[in-house]
Order: sequence, then structure tokens, then C-alpha cells
Amino acid sequence: MKASRRLEGLLVAGVAVLLALLVISVIILAVGKNPLLVFSSLLQGAGWLPKPKYAGGRGVLTDFMGLLDAMTPMLFAALAVAIAFRAGLFNIGVAGQMLAAGFLATVIVGYSPLTAVLAKPLVLLVGLAVGGALGAFVGFLKARFNIHEVVSTIMLNYIVLYITSFFIKSYYIDPVSRQSRAISSEARLTLMNVDLGGLSSRLPLCFLLAVALAVLFYLLLARTRLGFEIRAVGKSRKAAQYSGINARRTIVLSMALSGCSAGLAGVTYYLGCFNSILPAELSNIGFDSIAVALLANSNPLGSILSSLLITTLTYGSNYMSSTAGISEYIASLMIGVVLLFSACGGFFQYLLGRRRKALELDKEATGGAGIGTGGSSGSSNPGAGAGTGDSPGSEYDQDAKAAGQP
Amino acid sequence: MPQAIIELRHISKSFPGILANDDISLTINQGEIFAILGENGAGKSTLASILFGMYSPDAGEIWLRGKKTNITSPARAVELDIGMVHQHFKLISEYSVTENIILGDEPLRRLAGIAGLDRKAAGTRIQELIDCYQFDLAPDALIEDIGVSSQQRVEILKMLYRSAEILIFDEPTAMLTPQETERLLAIIRRLRDNGKTIILITHKLEEIKLVADRCAILNHGRLIEVFDVASTSTQTMANRMVGYELNLNIKKTPPNFGRPVLEVSDLTVYDALKVKRVDAVSLKVHAGEVFALAGVAGNGQMELADAIAGLMDVHSGSIRLKGEEITKTTARRRACAGIAYIPEDRQQVGLILDFTVSENLMSKSYFRPPYCKGPFLQTKAAARLAEDICQRYDIRSAQGVATLVRSLSGGNQQKLIVAREIEAQGDLVIFVQPTRGLDIGATLGIRQRIIAERDKGRAVLLISLELEEVKALADTIGVIYNGRIAHTAPASEVGMKELGEYMLGVRK
Repeated sequence: MKASRRLEGLLVAGVAVLLALLVISVIILAVGKNPLLVFSSLLQGAGWLPKPKYAGGRGVLTDFMGLLDAMTPMLFAALAVAIAFRAGLFNIGVAGQMLAAGFLATVIVGYSPLTAVLAKPLVLLVGLAVGGALGAFVGFLKARFNIHEVVSTIMLNYIVLYITSFFIKSYYIDPVSRQSRAISSEARLTLMNVDLGGLSSRLPLCFLLAVALAVLFYLLLARTRLGFEIRAVGKSRKAAQYSGINARRTIVLSMALSGCSAGLAGVTYYLGCFNSILPAELSNIGFDSIAVALLANSNPLGSILSSLLITTLTYGSNYMSSTAGISEYIASLMIGVVLLFSACGGFFQYLLGRRRKALELDKEATGGAGIGTGGSSGSSNPGAGAGTGDSPGSEYDQDAKAAGQP
Repeated sequence: MPQAIIELRHISKSFPGILANDDISLTINQGEIFAILGENGAGKSTLASILFGMYSPDAGEIWLRGKKTNITSPARAVELDIGMVHQHFKLISEYSVTENIILGDEPLRRLAGIAGLDRKAAGTRIQELIDCYQFDLAPDALIEDIGVSSQQRVEILKMLYRSAEILIFDEPTAMLTPQETERLLAIIRRLRDNGKTIILITHKLEEIKLVADRCAILNHGRLIEVFDVASTSTQTMANRMVGYELNLNIKKTPPNFGRPVLEVSDLTVYDALKVKRVDAVSLKVHAGEVFALAGVAGNGQMELADAIAGLMDVHSGSIRLKGEEITKTTARRRACAGIAYIPEDRQQVGLILDFTVSENLMSKSYFRPPYCKGPFLQTKAAARLAEDICQRYDIRSAQGVATLVRSLSGGNQQKLIVAREIEAQGDLVIFVQPTRGLDIGATLGIRQRIIAERDKGRAVLLISLELEEVKALADTIGVIYNGRIAHTAPASEVGMKELGEYMLGVRK
């Protein structure tokens, strides 16, 4: 029975994506382009389909590894949002937690002379510790003083943003790129220009770790005592307390777990995809991840699929815009529409659920299944984030970025 | 010769796994009070929902005022002059009585071509209705400021305002005190005398006996019989309703008190708003004793139960369990030490509605074997145990132990809580309002459980607002009034009248 419910969730997400593609096709047709061509060049850019021609030493694998590299922090960030959601908490502070973790790892390990064997695990540890501490702090504020986590995480985003920006600009700035100085390649979590069967490619070392964390979170929620407590507090704090669950402790713990995952997102982003930090700017990933988690209905395993999808859209858009002659903003639009429909997923699920609910013989259906208020505000955020940020495609091209920043 | 207003012909409605209405045919006459009686899950609410257009029948026809009619939606039902008062009210608590009544059907007045709300016209019309039926409501009061029974009268007014001729009441007295119930029944009679047709869905026999003209009995979705209420005894109706011979009296052997299990002394509890709720309460419950705490709602009994279970902080005084001081320990500790607690609010407190049956059955013991091994839940073992418990306690669900508790009927939800708490094998079981809103079969089942627990040598603290329940089960009766124990005596030594006086604070 549980399996059928899970399948239903997958079905709902699939329908949302299909509907979104349909709507986008109409828009593309309206501007006089061929949607099939646009979509295929998007897939080519993301490394799913081979491009017609490649520069020397590059191939479809190069693009695909780049996609996985970009997906790694996205998946960590989505897991951070998802686990908090399951505890009934809305962590909008993923971007800030990422930045804090990325900054401290850069300063502590990235500029140190440590060798790779020491530096890389240490980067991960710093990421875990910093993210976890920030998350736990938010959880503590919620548990002890009943300060809503949305408020505290938004405030912390700004605090982290300006503190790190101050230190980067004062002490760690690279005068040419106007970013923080590049970290040592020993500390970087993505290997560059690795030779894979004759093709030069990136190698994201933490991709499998992210997938493993997704499985771990899934098992944690479904199969462990702590997971039971997290879900119980998420569904009904009152009933959880009645059952003898220490709701405060559970809130702090789940926010800490969420922060840990956000911290890993931060280090794989700032010390993986990139090797420097752009001061006074939060990453879009922090906000897109809310949408990714939403699309997966806060299921850690589903987050793997949804982060792959959303990253495909952002990562492939650069190539798409140059070959299909359509602005890469169409990718942001696509994400927006997918999320809009996945927010409606609550409605599809409601339609499906009505059949089930009708079983409730002597009771009336109480309405709104699935995604609550947190979901709807979540879907508006990433849209705004994706729209106002600079072109998402170019972010993953380190050389272009270093040269082209104002 | 009575004139038929509604005629149902061979109505059937099924949901996955359950046949809710099975070929029901009946006729309801103009100007009568027609009761539909049945256990929880017998299909009576489904039938009412079909009449109000919320479900459409799989088969069968509805004839309204001699014409075949399709009631496709509640809006259509309202157009056809059918109104319904739901079990859970549908009012906006920040709006006034008037605003709630006119919501969706606002009288408009044009001012310089722009449509505006004609509050005055609405107010006059509503005041007329209030006066006509003696509703005793202030049209400008906010819903959140008025009591449950007043809110219900607002719901009734809503129907009358839309000139409903056929009024459906779904379990209207479930939330009301005895006095309020009497008042509502008087209103229902007055409505009938004004020519309205009333359909009353209930499982309370006394109410039917008091007001209904005719009564249809449903059992497992089938229409068993339609009675003329005046010429049928309550016992006969009860028997037909549950489908087997029912003994309304609970058999009780004389009590056999053991050592004191719960000792509360001088307990004082303040709520979150710093209002004193429990005021220097002392009581003792022995093994093998049912101590029933009677009282009118809101006199501190729920807070007392919460404080004993560890869900509310104690201001002063002490609680001892089997001689051990537990005043400051956590709810989890107390549960493990042997306090089982069936709380008043089943859906918000007692259950996690979005968890499955199996998860809810383990929600108080998930952290220890056999539900847990180290940090890992034993989901398969839990499902097996849950299946066993469901069978023994007759908890019915559409999809077994993986069903979400939200979709269980109220009676089955309560059975689940009782099963979980009794299975915990505690020495003290606190029952708060254990049979509220349940049908006769389930009520009887739970009352027998309470006595069975007592006979096993457990201490039972029963908190109930129903005097009849207190009298039927208690060995010792305490009356709580204004947070204080007004009187304590062996059950055999106090009369109903005396209890009532203590409950209302007339006698001190």
C-alpha cells in the first residue's frame, strides 16, 4: 500500500513535468522556434545527447560529468530542505548555510598547504560542522524561544552574506577577478581535466556521497527511531509530545541534519564546482533546492531525480541558447513552470486522493492534501531567484566567469 | 394523508473496499422529523451526503417533490431548498454571525451604480429569523466569541436564510451538553411545526425517542427497517441498530480494591495564560478501582488529566504512582512507569492522522523492543503486531494496517487509541471522554474494556461529562467544580440529583 502511494507521487511529478513541457512548447512555438530542436539542444548541452561536434579532447561524457558536478551541491541542498520539511520546518537558509560553510572551508583548508588526502576530508568536515552548527542554532531558536525558522533563516542569510563579504573583500580578494582568491587544487572536491577514456573531463568526487546521503536520509526517515520522531513532530507536534517524544530535541536535531547537508552543498559548490567565492551574492542553488525538494514531495530518493531534472534544465541552457538561438532565460522559465505544476501536484494528488478519502464514510473530507502553505511560498522563491540571478549556464564555466565578471 | 417530499429509490453507493449504501429505498414525508439511525460506518452520513449533492449515487434515483431530480452539487441542493448542518461547522471564526450567514448569498444594494453590501437588509432579515425561532443570538457577535451551541444555531440560521425547506442535521448533538441538546431538540421541533422537513442523523436513541416521528435504521449500508417511533421501544431500536441483541446494562462485579496506584495531593496547575485550572486537588485511585471524575466541561478535569500524564507543568503539589514521586518526570517516563492515557482530543493529540494504523499503534513504544532493535525500527514485526491488535480490538480499516488513520471512522480511531493504551499494560489507565461521539456498539465495547481493566487489577481514572457513564462505571465518584474536588464518595452512596448539584456548584 505504501508502495502504491509512492508510485502515485512519482506519477504526479511526472504529470507535472509533462504539462510543463507542453506549456513551454507552446511558448517556444509562439516565438517561432521549433520546440523539439530547443529541447534536444538542451539535452545535448546537459550531456544526455551527443552534440554534432566537439572541441578537441571533449565529448558527451565531458558534458555529462559537468552535469553531475553541478548536480552534486543541488542534491545536497535539496536534501537539506527535504529533511527539514519532513520535520515540519521550512529551511530557507540553505543559501546562507552553504555560504558560511564554503567560506570557512575556503579560509581554513582552501588556503592551507595541506595535501589532498588531508585537505579534501577536512573540507567535508568543516562543511558538515559549520552547516550543522548554523542549522542547530536555528533549531534552538525555534525550540527554545519559538522564533519561526523562516524568519531566523532569512535573517541569518543576510548576516552570513555580509560578514563573509566583508572578510573576502578585506582579506581574501583577488584584485583581477574581484572574487576570493582561488583555493589550492588539493582542497578542491572536483578534479579538473581528468582523462576519462581519452576525453578530458571533470570528476565530481562527492557525487556518490550525495546519492549515498539521499539513501541514508531515506532510511533514516523510514527505518529508524529518530526518523519516526522527526516524521511524528512534522505531522503533529502535539501528538508527538503526547507520545512522549521530546519535540524540542527533535527540532534541533533535524535542523542540524538539514544544516549539515546544506554545509556539504556549500563546500561542493564553492570548493567543487568553483574554486572561489563571489562576494555579496547568495547562490541560486540555495533557493532552487526548495523547489527541487518540493518537486520530490520531500522524499530524499525523489530528490535525486528532481535535482537531476532541474540541473539538466539549468546546465543545458547555455548550449541551448547558443545553438537554438533562444535566450537561456527560457530555462529559468521552464523551471518556473515545472515548479508551478508540481505545486499543483498537491491538487492532482488531491484528485487521486479523493477516491481514497471517499472511504471515510461518516466523515467529511477536510480538503487540501499534500503541500501546504510552505510549499506555495517555496515555489515563488526559486522562480524569483532564477530570474534575477545572472545567467545560470555561465556559472559552471569557470574560465568564462573569471574573465567576464564585472 | 402525509405527502412525500423525498423518495429514494434503490440508492447504492460504494467506495473502494466498502459498500456504503446498498439498495436503499425510502420515503420521507413533508413536515416530519425523519431520523436515520445507525452505528458509525453504517452509511448514514453517506446517504445524507448523497441527498445534499456531495456524492452522486452509483445507482438509484432520487425523487424530490414528485419529480426525478439529480442533485449534482451542494449548490444545486441549496437551490432545491435543501440545507445541511454538518458535524463540523463551516464558519469563519473572525466573521460576525451576520457575515457568516450571508456569506455566498450577500444582499446587494446599488450605490451610484456600484454594487455594495446591504448590511441593513441582511440584518433585518436575520433578526426576524432569530426572533421567529427564539434563537437567542446577537447578530453582531463574532463566531470565535460564541459557544459551540450558538455556532450551531448560526449554521441552522444559514439554512433558513437560504429558505431551506428540507433540513439535514448530521450528528447535531455530538458536541453539545445535555442542556444544549434539549434546547436544540426544541428548536428542531419548532422547525417542524413551521412546516419544515427534518432529516436527523444520529446514533443517540434518546434523541430519536424525544423528537423523531419516524426512524430508518441502517446497518452495514443496508436499510433494516423504518419504524414509527412512538410505537417502538428503545430496546427494540437498539437491537435492530447493532444487528444483534444488545444488553444496555454493563455487568459489574463488586470492586476489589488493592493498594493505591495513583495519589495526587494538593495539585495546582496553571494553563499557558496563567489561569489557575486545577486548584489543590487531592485524590487516590486504587488498583481494581474505577474512580470517575464527573463535572461540567471546562472545570479543570482535562488539565488534571494532562498534568497526571506529564503534558502540563505542575505549579505545586505532588503526584505519586505506586508510591513513587513522579511530579517532575517527563511524559515518556510516566508512560513507561505505567500511565496509559486516552486523551480527550483524539485527532489532534491521541493520533497522528497522517501516520498509518501500524505507526499509530507503535507511537508510544516505537523506541523499545519489539518495535525497535538498536536505532532501527522493525517495521515488519510492527505490522504483524498491529494486525494482531486490529483483530483483537476489531479495528476496521479499508487497507489493513497500512491505512492512514485519517481515513478511519471515528469509532475505529478511538478503538485504536484504546487498544494502544491498554496494550501498554500500565497500572493506571486514564480515560477522558472515552465514548464521546461513538455509537452504541462501540460505546458498549469500550465500557466493557474499562470494567475488564478494573477487574484485571488496574486503576482506572475515568473523566467523563456524561453522568450516565459515570454512574454506570464508577466505583468511586469525585465531582470537580471550578478546579476543586467538590465531593468524593463511593458510587453507591450518591444519587444523580446530588451529583448534579455538586457539578453545578449549587451544593458545596
